[in-house]
Amino acid sequence: MLRFILRRLIVTLPMVLVVISLTWGLIRLAPGNFYTGEKAIPPAIEENLRAKYGLDQPWYVQYGRMISNTLRGDFGNSLRYQGQSVNEILAISLPVSASIGIAAYLLALVFGVLVGVISAVKQNSSMDYTSMTFAMIGISLPNFVMGPILVLAFGLTLFWLPPARWEGFFSIHTILPVITLSAVYMAYIARLARSGMLEVLRSNYIRTARAKGLNEWQVVMRHGLRGGLLPVVSFSGPALALLISGTVIVERIFALPGLGNYFINANLNRDEPLIIGIVAFMSISVLIFNLLVDVAYGFFDPRVRY
Amino acid sequence: MSEMRKGTRCWLASVLALGLAACTNVSADTEYFGRVTPPEGQVMRYISGSEPESLDPPVSSGQPEARLYMAIFEGLTEYDPKTQEPIPGVAESWEINEDSSEFLFHLRRDALWTDGSTVDAHDFVYSWRRGLSPELASRNAYLAYEIKYAQPYNEGAVFVQNAASGEYVLEQALSGGEPGEAVEVSDDTAFHAFIAGPNRLTLPGDEASRQAMFDEDPVLAELVRNKDFVPVAARDVGIEAVDDFTFRVTLVRPAPYFVGLIAHQMFKPVHRQTVERFGDTWTKPENIVTNGAFRLVSWKPYNEILLEKNPTYWDAETVRLERLIFYPMEEATTMMNLYKAGEVDAVYNHVVPAAWLDVIRPMLDYMDSPENAIEYYMFNTTQAPMDDVRVRKAFNAAIDKVALAEYRRVSKPLTAFSPEGIYPGYPQPKGDQFDPVRAKELLAEAGYTDASGKFDPSTFPVGDVELTYNTSESNRQVAEFVQAQWKQNLGLTVGLRNMEWKTYLVTRAALEYKGISRAGWVGDYMDPFSFLNILYTPTGDNGTGWWDPEYVQMLDDANRTLDPTERYRLLAEAEAFMLDYQPVIPLLTSATNWMKKPYVKGMYPNAGTMHPWKFVYIEHDESKWDRGIPDMD
Repeated sequence: MLRFILRRLIVTLPMVLVVISLTWGLIRLAPGNFYTGEKAIPPAIEENLRAKYGLDQPWYVQYGRMISNTLRGDFGNSLRYQGQSVNEILAISLPVSASIGIAAYLLALVFGVLVGVISAVKQNSSMDYTSMTFAMIGISLPNFVMGPILVLAFGLTLFWLPPARWEGFFSIHTILPVITLSAVYMAYIARLARSGMLEVLRSNYIRTARAKGLNEWQVVMRHGLRGGLLPVVSFSGPALALLISGTVIVERIFALPGLGNYFINANLNRDEPLIIGIVAFMSISVLIFNLLVDVAYGFFDPRVRY
Repeated sequence: MSEMRKGTRCWLASVLALGLAACTNVSADTEYFGRVTPPEGQVMRYISGSEPESLDPPVSSGQPEARLYMAIFEGLTEYDPKTQEPIPGVAESWEINEDSSEFLFHLRRDALWTDGSTVDAHDFVYSWRRGLSPELASRNAYLAYEIKYAQPYNEGAVFVQNAASGEYVLEQALSGGEPGEAVEVSDDTAFHAFIAGPNRLTLPGDEASRQAMFDEDPVLAELVRNKDFVPVAARDVGIEAVDDFTFRVTLVRPAPYFVGLIAHQMFKPVHRQTVERFGDTWTKPENIVTNGAFRLVSWKPYNEILLEKNPTYWDAETVRLERLIFYPMEEATTMMNLYKAGEVDAVYNHVVPAAWLDVIRPMLDYMDSPENAIEYYMFNTTQAPMDDVRVRKAFNAAIDKVALAEYRRVSKPLTAFSPEGIYPGYPQPKGDQFDPVRAKELLAEAGYTDASGKFDPSTFPVGDVELTYNTSESNRQVAEFVQAQWKQNLGLTVGLRNMEWKTYLVTRAALEYKGISRAGWVGDYMDPFSFLNILYTPTGDNGTGWWDPEYVQMLDDANRTLDPTERYRLLAEAEAFMLDYQPVIPLLTSATNWMKKPYVKGMYPNAGTMHPWKFVYIEHDESKWDRGIPDMD
């Protein structure tokens, strides 16, 4: 087990390097530069800028500097936001995205699993149909529709909740974005949990459990859940990685100072160090969460051994 | 089964869409948009647009930053809240010489930095030199190029010096004039004698460009042979602290608009000791020292910038707001939601979405005015078929700009090149009007005819023309409208091509676009020259490939003219001259299009949407609220 984790962690580093190298190359391919603006810059000023940021050096020097910075965990200063280092920006924006993301995930997990399991146990009941209809709506409704509907209802008609802005995690400002963000995941998890459970409940070992005379509650909770939630577990890895590294749309609708917002702007601004920093962070989190999922498999599925 | 599910999904989607449409239909019978409860005390919450790049004034060129700098820094002059004309800032008064090429500013003695020290002329000398230094690499530096030797210094150019005599080679030596000829100046200081004297010759700083010039011009090569190249230094730039409270600026060419120009962020003072001590991090709240009506308390990126009244400000008596909060954000709908919920008191310009205008425009808190900004299309005059002025004129005359403005809702039609209706007394030329018949005749004259000599669309190489614009919903709408006009009036279907912003900028600057490209311009100061200046140089913002020394001469002559009325007349003549070559298609004068709650006073819909914050306050007495656009006189 430990060896497996170690092996995977060792592979992570070169993979991250590959990802950021590709990213770096793609930034080079995009026309324009961080200083390109509507008002043309006289060539002399452009030269000054290029010299100031080391863009006048050959590509391999720039690439080497970027890689060595990344290896040291210091991505340098943002080109767009003067005097702010990428690490500082990550330190400010990551907690916002991560807290919203984790809260949304937990909300989705609790309600999704609950609804999914109940639907599976009461298959083809009116409850099953109702909850699966809502799950279908949840999946079909993108969050750029869901968010504004919630804002309209609770922010602008009832005036119960503020329509946007960030005032720290423990404030009423977080309620709407968390619900908006969790809706799709909740719906997915409910459907995954339902189908996973349905499959498991038909399997032989469940029949054995019932034959032993266990009551339905024990059958479902002790024997069914472990196997039934496997699809939810494998879905959770990438989902969590995406949720934590920020979701552009929700962050923009609710004006949250999170990573997703920075990421989209960094790309539009050609802010290379910031792009590299965020991509590095995102790829690391995707790899780590996938690893966690694989480890979790070992606990959920007795057939999996490392 | 799957078909049915799909059907259900569609049905649900359409029900929801209907529901949404019904909900967004804001009731139009209310006077104001959303809640109108003033915040407790004197607190103003303002949505300022994108996250500021930096709090270092010369570094950023954006408007969102400009509005923030106006609160915490004070330049020599500031913008009038209604007219945007310059008003005294740190400078109490100023004197202008007879040809508008030398400006003497008298600074007030009670202007203080937040650390208690006095703001004096030396601070401005330091700040302006710093703004121009090649090391800072400010994107705004070009705005200061009117100042003598500012451009050579910023570009790292060199003077040419005779090592033996110590004398510098002058520009006039090149044109055959007598070198070293003494010019009479009222030389009260040695620096003034130098700076007001004849122009020294400047050459590019790098060897290769210089050599290229010498190869081309043997006279020049001969002139500088065996002489030394001395880099133009910060101390050579035409700014001088005559004494602690007198600041003199010498320009390289007349610029009557200069006093208005220096309200721009490029010319704000920065605190020398702080900048030198903290380097790049001098703008952090714990380090920054400022001199404006407000001071920085905290800065949370993409979230909130909190300012409070600066008690050391010389005019603190006028300042009524205790706190001023900027919320940087980018989503227009989100801004409107916050405004409606009463969570903010005003928003910046261009925020109200076009689709909402029918609802918003009748409301008493909607602010609008023509803007010091235009939208236009530029022709690539270096390539056929747009190298023919008749073709350009035809494409211009085939667009009904009045209909375009009606379609756009927030703009006014524009047929000239400077924005319409914001410069009182400017005899703006009209430009060519909408005339589809004449447009076809012009194309026929250009040779695109059938056998009978009439215009024949099939002979026109429409494949060589493309309308390029940067990706945005509103640009697409304008482009499609114009495309339809050409189709209808000329029978030509011009292809549209959208590009991501930075890609588009590069394509446009390199004249790599086919035929026509979109452009927009926001004036840097309240003067038509801010627009006419775009085509003053062949490169840079020009983007059309059209350039005429005669046009440059006309503009120079105008700027040398003392009488403002006569100057305006000459500028208008130059504008008409340029329009006659039609390197551009003027489309629209932008509109400011923003909102403020009725209890926010001292904020006006001016042409630049620049609000000198010291005049803004919250009025708690409902009878004194602004019901509609406040009095602008």
